[in-house]
Amino acid sequence: MKLAIDETRCKGCNLCTKVCPYKIFKEGKLPNLRGIVVPELDRPERCTNCRLYHLYGRQLCGVCQLTCPDQAIHWVEEEPYEPHKVAIEY
Amino acid sequence: MSFEDWFRQDRLPHIYCAGCGNGTIINCTLAAVDAMGWAKEDTVFVSGIGCSSRAPGYIVTDSLHTTHGRALAFATGVKMANPKLHVVVFTGDGDLAAIGGNHFIHACRRNIDLTVVCMNNQIYGMTGGQGSPTTPRGCISTTTPYGSTEPAFDLSELAIAAGANYVARWTSYHVKELERAVKTGLETPGFSFIEALVQCPTNFGRRNKFRQVADQIEYIKAHALLKAKRDRLLEQGERIPEDMYVVGELMRRSRPAMGLAPTEVKP
Repeated sequence: MKLAIDETRCKGCNLCTKVCPYKIFKEGKLPNLRGIVVPELDRPERCTNCRLYHLYGRQLCGVCQLTCPDQAIHWVEEEPYEPHKVAIEY
Repeated sequence: MSFEDWFRQDRLPHIYCAGCGNGTIINCTLAAVDAMGWAKEDTVFVSGIGCSSRAPGYIVTDSLHTTHGRALAFATGVKMANPKLHVVVFTGDGDLAAIGGNHFIHACRRNIDLTVVCMNNQIYGMTGGQGSPTTPRGCISTTTPYGSTEPAFDLSELAIAAGANYVARWTSYHVKELERAVKTGLETPGFSFIEALVQCPTNFGRRNKFRQVADQIEYIKAHALLKAKRDRLLEQGERIPEDMYVVGELMRRSRPAMGLAPTEVKP
């Protein structure tokens, strides 16, 4: 699981920066194409739900998703990590 | 299944201002409705007029967007016509307390099996920031430019006095508690009233020294007094600060309810 912010919905109210117990959301710096400063994610792999959703099989924490007034925060499934073979040519 | 499935994805993003708490309350309510496991066909959302009352327009279930203040009257009709439906009413403070006050106390008195979620932003947000019955004393709005001189309405106390079965008050900061309160309200037969204080950065915060959304959230968080603590203070005979408001489950009782689905009697 991976935390994601939907930039087409976010209105830049920065409420998520207030509620996350891990302070994953940081206030953004640059406005996007719609002129909205979307929060940045600071090491989102620390998120409880990202780490433990599949282990527990249910939603954990989820305060940022409930708090977001614009329904912009969601989790996306990640592909499991696959080691790649890298052929080095000398 | 999560509460996101209850939204009409094609209607989002909604038109609420940046930082408006109404979206949070919709999330919490839908999460509670989702946890109940109700079918979308059996659930009806009713609302009146106002910012908060735009909420059912963003939800996939059947909904009624009715006249100002009469959401409870229409919801009563829906419930009495088909008691098998689950009816949830979204309403604001101007809708419920000012114009629909009469319907509110009589719905509490009849104890109809409804769940009412009141998004109390303490002002008429949609029409330009006029003072509402719940504007706290001393707060500035466009109709009270020198500060409101009237005492504010305590909607939860009114609901308790009028006879609602379940009354709780939370804020847009306490999302988990609010979700649990709405779920308890949905489970309770009879009238359940959940008051949710929300921030209104555009029309309330801007005129009342909360320039940032976070400032008002911090204020709401700092001035919420848990009911258990209020009771403890009362027991010790200490004074309760005047600018604090009580949050928590304020009333739970089982008066006879109206509009319950008749239970099937097996021969």
